[in-house]
Amino acid sequence: MLDIIHQYWLLFLIGSYPNGPLGGIAATVLLSVIGIGLAFPLSVLLALAQLSPYKALRYPATAIRYLLRSIPLVMLIFGAYFIVPIILGRPVAGFTTMAVTLVIFQSVYLAEIVRAGIESLPKGQAEAAAALGMGYWTRTRKIILPQALTNMLPSMVGQFVTTIKDTSLGYVIGVNELTYAANQVNSAVITQPFTVFLVLSLAYFVICFALTQAARLLEAHLERRNSRTVTHVTLNAQNAPAAGHSS
Amino acid sequence: MTIKKNSVAAVNPESIISLHEVNKWYGEHHVLTDVSAQVKKGEVVVLCGPSGSGKSTLIRTMNRLEEIGSGTIHVNGQDVQGKQVDVNSMRSHIGFVFQQFNLFPHLSVLENVTCGPLWVNKAKQAETRQLAMALLEKVGLGHKAQAYPNQLSGGQQQRVAIARALAMNPPVMLFDEPTSALDPEMVGEVLSVMKALAAEGMTMVCVTHEMNFAREVSDVVWFMDQGSLLEVAAPDVFFTSPQHPRAQKFLSDIRRH
Repeated sequence: MLDIIHQYWLLFLIGSYPNGPLGGIAATVLLSVIGIGLAFPLSVLLALAQLSPYKALRYPATAIRYLLRSIPLVMLIFGAYFIVPIILGRPVAGFTTMAVTLVIFQSVYLAEIVRAGIESLPKGQAEAAAALGMGYWTRTRKIILPQALTNMLPSMVGQFVTTIKDTSLGYVIGVNELTYAANQVNSAVITQPFTVFLVLSLAYFVICFALTQAARLLEAHLERRNSRTVTHVTLNAQNAPAAGHSS
Repeated sequence: MTIKKNSVAAVNPESIISLHEVNKWYGEHHVLTDVSAQVKKGEVVVLCGPSGSGKSTLIRTMNRLEEIGSGTIHVNGQDVQGKQVDVNSMRSHIGFVFQQFNLFPHLSVLENVTCGPLWVNKAKQAETRQLAMALLEKVGLGHKAQAYPNQLSGGQQQRVAIARALAMNPPVMLFDEPTSALDPEMVGEVLSVMKALAAEGMTMVCVTHEMNFAREVSDVVWFMDQGSLLEVAAPDVFFTSPQHPRAQKFLSDIRRH
C-alpha cells in the first residue's frame, strides 16, 4: 500500500495537473468549496422564500424543495450532463456540469438547515425587532440570520462533508476528481484494486473525519456560548425524512 | 362589519390611544368584543383581568403585532390598523416591552439599546451611544453595557428591554406583563423603573397582575374579561367598590391569595 501511495501520491493529490486538468483531492475540495460556496447564498434565499407569507414565493420554493429532495443526485448529474450542453449550445466540461449540479442540489439541502435555524429562533425575536420599527430586511439581516446561521454552523459543516463525498459521483460523467484519479491509478497498477480503493477510502475518511471533528468542536463552543434563549436544533439534512440522497 | 368612515372624527385630540369598537376573532372564538377606550397623554393605564381575558391580545393590537377584525385603533393620531399606514414608522413611535424580554442575544446590552435608533432612524453613532448610556444608567445598568443578555438576570434583562424601547423616544409605552416571567425577588427592580417613568409623565399602558403597582401608580384601571372591557375606573374606586360583578369576583379571588 505504501509503495502505491509513494508512487502515485501526486496523482491522488492533483490528478495529471499541470499536464492535464486539475484532479485528485484538489479538484474534489475545489468542487466542494464551489458547490457549498455558491449554494449558500441561494439556500438563504430559498429558505426565506419558503418561509415567506407570499404564496407567489412560497409555492415555487416549496415545489423545488420537494422535487429536488426526491431525486437521487446521480439522476441530477446525468440530467445536467445531457441538458446543460443543449441549453448552452456547446460542449461543457464535466467539472462545470458537476459544479452546477452540486450548487443546485446542495442549495436545497442547505436551505433546509437555514430554514430550521430560522424556525428554531423564538418568535419574540422577530416581534421585538418589528416593535422597534425595523422592516423585514433589517429584521432578517440584522436579527434573524446572524442568530440562525451561527446556530446552524455545525450542521452546515456537516453538509460540507456530505458534499465532499457527493463529488465522487462526478466519476459517472468523467469528472477529474479523487475517485477518477484512483481509477487511473488502478488502471496503471492493475493487480491491486483492493489496495488502491482502500487508499481512496482513507483519503475521503481523513478529510471528512477532520471536518466532522471540527464541526463537533464548533458545536461545543457554540453551546457553551449559547445556553440562552435559543432552542438548539442539530439538523443534518441528510438524515431528514424523504431525502432521496445517495452517498 | 364595515369600518365606519366617520370614526376618525370620534378621536379625541387629547388622547394618545383611542380604541373604537375593536373586535377580533380567532376562527369562531371572539377574543375581543367591541372594545372602546381612550388613553390621554400622560396617563398610566393598568389593564387587568383573569388570564385568557384578551388583555395581551388587546395591547398587541395597539402596535399591530395582532391584526383586528373590525373597529379602529388610533395611536399618536395614526390609524394603526389602516391600510395606508407605514407600519414600521408607526411602530417606531410606540415603545413595547414583552413578557419574555426578547433581547437580541447576539448583541451586547449597549447594542441592544442603540440598534433601534441606528437601524431604524439612521441616527448618528456617537449621539446614539450617549443616549443609550444615559438610558442604561437610568435603569441602573450602565455598568453592564458591554455584557451580553445571557449574562444578566431576568430583572436586568427586562430593564435593558425598557431602555431599548425608550431609546426610540416614543411618546407612549406599552408593557405586556413585564414582570410575569420574573422570579419574585426581581419584580421590584422592574416595577421601580416603571414607576420612575410614570413619574416623569410617560403615557403608559400596562398589562399586569401587580395590583399594588396598579393601586399606587395607575391613573386608570381597565378591567377585561372574556374579550370585553367591562370596567374603566380610577384605581381607588376600582379597588374599593368595583361595579361589575365579574370585577368584584376577580378582586376577591386575588385577595384570597
